[in-house]
Amino acid sequence: MTGITENIWQAKTVAQRAAEALPESVWFALGYMVLGVVGVAAFIAVLGMGLIYAERKIAGHFQCRLGPMRVGWHGIFQTVADTLKLLLKEDVVPAQADKFLHILAPLFTLLGTILVLAVLPMSPIVHVSDVNIGVVYVGAVSGFGVLGILLGGWSSNNKWSLLGAMRAGAQIISYEISATLALLVVVLFSGTLRLSEIVESQAAGWWIWRAHGVGIVAFLLFFIASLAEINRTPFDIPEGESELTAGFHTEYSGMRFAFFFLAEFINMFIVAALTATLFLGGWMPFHIGDFAGFNAIMDMIPPGLWFTGKTAFLVFLIMWFRWTFPRLRVDQLMRLEWKVLLPIGFANLIAAAVVVLFNFYFFPVR
Amino acid sequence: MMQATDKQENPTRSGLVTAPELKRHGFFRNVFSGIKSLLEGMKVTFHYLSHPSTVVTQQYPENRATLKMMERYRALLTMIHDENGLHKCTGCQICHDNCPNASINVVTRSNPVSGKKELDRYIWRMDSCTFCNLCVQVCPFGVLKMDGSFEGAVYDRRLFVFTLNHYAGPAAGLLAKVADPEERKKMIEPRDRYSGPVPLNGQELAGVKALKKAESGCCGGSGGCCSDSQGSQGSKEMK
Ligand code: SF4
Ligand code: SF4
Repeated sequence: MTGITENIWQAKTVAQRAAEALPESVWFALGYMVLGVVGVAAFIAVLGMGLIYAERKIAGHFQCRLGPMRVGWHGIFQTVADTLKLLLKEDVVPAQADKFLHILAPLFTLLGTILVLAVLPMSPIVHVSDVNIGVVYVGAVSGFGVLGILLGGWSSNNKWSLLGAMRAGAQIISYEISATLALLVVVLFSGTLRLSEIVESQAAGWWIWRAHGVGIVAFLLFFIASLAEINRTPFDIPEGESELTAGFHTEYSGMRFAFFFLAEFINMFIVAALTATLFLGGWMPFHIGDFAGFNAIMDMIPPGLWFTGKTAFLVFLIMWFRWTFPRLRVDQLMRLEWKVLLPIGFANLIAAAVVVLFNFYFFPVR
Repeated sequence: MMQATDKQENPTRSGLVTAPELKRHGFFRNVFSGIKSLLEGMKVTFHYLSHPSTVVTQQYPENRATLKMMERYRALLTMIHDENGLHKCTGCQICHDNCPNASINVVTRSNPVSGKKELDRYIWRMDSCTFCNLCVQVCPFGVLKMDGSFEGAVYDRRLFVFTLNHYAGPAAGLLAKVADPEERKKMIEPRDRYSGPVPLNGQELAGVKALKKAESGCCGGSGGCCSDSQGSQGSKEMK
């Protein structure tokens, strides 16, 4: 089955290229590394601006408004202007704050985001590094985001910030469990922790619909839990404007606020990309079993486009959620996780194990 | 989201925290009703997204020429004058008494011909008005209305206090009963916007001048005192 894809798209990461170039010249290898780093940085900046603009436009229309309209055609340069403003803005650190941690916090949050981006297989060639424990790695480094929030709330020396940070901690510890349980389902199915192999295992069909409903439940669980992990509305209680002013980033301004803000939007992309990778086949085109003709047509669309399309759809879904659902109360949030998602997650994992045991898929893989 | 109806919890388990998730059938019903209501909400917002005609934002000032204000927009209190330039205000002062901010001063006079009490000046203080619409609603004769002309910014605050009626004299209904046009003309005296006991008091306003007590002919537009004292004096003089 993987034969279809193997010869067409030989997956190769930037890290692999660097390793291959090393015997020839150190500078080639270094060049590839710089390419990877600069690529990720540029990607974050451009994507951040694009997503913020898209969110504001879409949010506007969800609420019978227009969104930004003034700067450039239909406000297309609004985010650029905002970025400039944030860059030039005075950076205020409260007098009683723990200055070192205060400065460190947004960097940690952004660091977690960048580290996850590095392992995302966006297309066979656009992939910085392929880690053999990719899934575990993603779960681990995304913890930097929480660390940043906790540090930010703690170091601000502000009750609201602290409350927001504590809420973030409680929320992420809780929802991490559900997200991992849903993730394990895919690991069971594909038998690997490597993200690129998970993508390749979906050559015959995406995991979301190949396992008789188990995949759909896992998809929903993972999506909901991930939304909670990145503090996206309706789970944005760490920020909670109506209760906590701005939660953990109440005391942040200028560049450092921009870091938090950027991380929030890139995280949204990461959640969408990860969900697409795990459940919707990543860059893998839409294939139906052995229908060679149909599959060949689908293969004509480049994998990068498949990835972009799937991710864009999920990002849109996340925005749609944000501008429709009201924020949960703290106790409701905990109840949703511990009493609803967790039992469903366990039951789903057992069901998945049964499916794997009897090899009871549509279009068997192995 | 997840607490659809936990009103009728079973009383036998009182003391325990009751939640629909704990009940045998409640769990899935709760999850599905939650999902259903969320989808319902998403349907509503998607309708807004997919129908740009639902957008209410106005691109003011670009569309200034074509802008049509909403019917219920309240920006400027106006006295309705019919096609003959006549209003229906009787000077009963009900609006004056009902304004919560004392933004209205209805100054009355005795008619020089008939001697009857009637409206002299209807003075409105736009600067203290909250646009609550009470005056429009309490008027028994439907004299007032709220207009949508919202471009009310001015460079001199004296311009915020002005006269709404275009003439001093009896209401349109009473005036119609007077047959002789000569006599009718005698009963009416024109009133412009900034003459009389308003802070501007008929002055020219070339550019923005400082407010001076002596010039303005009253207390200089500070506080709500001016038109009141002036008004009662004015009506005495009329007698
Ligand atoms: S709208 Fe309200 S505040 Fe304004 S003049 Fe009328 S009654 Fe007074
Ligand atoms: S506007 Fe209406 S309520 Fe006010 S004085 Fe005239 S008739 Fe009376």
